[in-house]
Amino acid sequence: MGNIKETFLNPIFKGNPISVLVLGICSSLAVTVQLKGAIVMGLSVMIVTGLSSFVCSLLRNTIPNRIRIIVQLVVVALMVILVDQVLKAYAYSVSKTLSVYIGLIITNCIVMGRIEAYALGNKPFASLMDGLGNGLGYAMILVIVAFFRELLGSGTLFGFQVIPQAVYEFGYMNNGLMILPPMALILLGCIIWVQRSIQKDLQEK
Amino acid sequence: MNTNSNTYTVIYSTVLVVIVAAVLAFAAMYLKPTQDANVKKDTISQILTAATVEASEDILATYRQDIEAAILIDIEGNKVGELSIEDCEVYDNSALKKQITAEPKALPVYIFKNGITVIPCYGAGLWGPIWGYIGFEKDLKTIKAVCFGHKGETPGLGAKISDEPSFAASFAGQQMGSGEILFEVTKPGNRQTENNGVDAISGATITCQALGKTLNQWFGFYQDYLAKNAETCCQTECCEDTCCTEKVESVNTVEE
Repeated sequence: MGNIKETFLNPIFKGNPISVLVLGICSSLAVTVQLKGAIVMGLSVMIVTGLSSFVCSLLRNTIPNRIRIIVQLVVVALMVILVDQVLKAYAYSVSKTLSVYIGLIITNCIVMGRIEAYALGNKPFASLMDGLGNGLGYAMILVIVAFFRELLGSGTLFGFQVIPQAVYEFGYMNNGLMILPPMALILLGCIIWVQRSIQKDLQEK
Repeated sequence: MNTNSNTYTVIYSTVLVVIVAAVLAFAAMYLKPTQDANVKKDTISQILTAATVEASEDILATYRQDIEAAILIDIEGNKVGELSIEDCEVYDNSALKKQITAEPKALPVYIFKNGITVIPCYGAGLWGPIWGYIGFEKDLKTIKAVCFGHKGETPGLGAKISDEPSFAASFAGQQMGSGEILFEVTKPGNRQTENNGVDAISGATITCQALGKTLNQWFGFYQDYLAKNAETCCQTECCEDTCCTEKVESVNTVEE
């Protein structure tokens, strides 16, 4: 049981898919302008990585090796379309903001990477935890980036004004660059910097 | 069992695909009514934005309360039918798409109590369809507000037609032209008319060109209707609040 816990917690900090493996950068740049979008995106990726790892792990002994990748893709695509459909039905406005990025979860390297690297060689429950953990690690970075981008770029959090009007009257201005994708990359760089200065073993010689 | 034989591979993939297809088909059928209701609400909220009506929690109630008439016209501007206000009947994108022919049979017009007339447009963008709602002031020439949408334009570039407030705001006060070019979305300096256009978004040339083309086409569809009803307005020399109701009545008489 200790192993399972380790499997789940490892990708959140020590083996974070974004800040350590640097996977799934594209969508993390695109959907982090606002916290709400980032959280829904993070949850969606969590569900997709978790469930597709689980299903692929269940099927792992039956999958013909030659069409392994195709079978994985079919399973991932199924999960992505289901998530997309459910969002369209029950969270329409968010699904509109995220537009193509939900569909693009299928191209997120984290999902395929975890299935190839972990789910095909491990038991279903452990794979589920591994998938969920990686999704959570991804979501966490997304939320951190989105927090700074929304706060500094629009002065709001979850759409509510948090920087008081008085500060603006003193000449404070929202940073327009924060709303643009390049700033997400710079913030991501800062996060990786902070993590590597804490975790010395990640530093390359 | 040999999981690498050809027969096994073919059977395995067939079974898997059939199962996946069945799950997806079931999910799509089960969720369709909720999704359709969302799309309808979304369409109405776009129409309300173009009509500068502030939407409340219950969008359908706001629509019922603030709409004066929702009618269908033909290309000559004659009324050919009505949309039910009680059911909040509106033309969605697929219904608009069907109207893009040489001679559209039934084009929707939404007339609001605040005097704003909203017409839709729909066309091809860069990656997928783009659409929009244009609210005209009482003279049926000057644009009051617009609301655009798109299916899959590039975020940060073409997608700005819907999520960049300054772009939508630049339409306010512009007029629909007459003659060949009814409206332009071009680079500043490339404009062929004086007042009948807005600046394109930099980095989104193709989307903006497509938007200009779409607007031109749909303004063309509505040209006769807008001219006819604006005329009635000038003849009776009313440009006050009563104007709108008289316009609606005049449309009604045309039908009779």
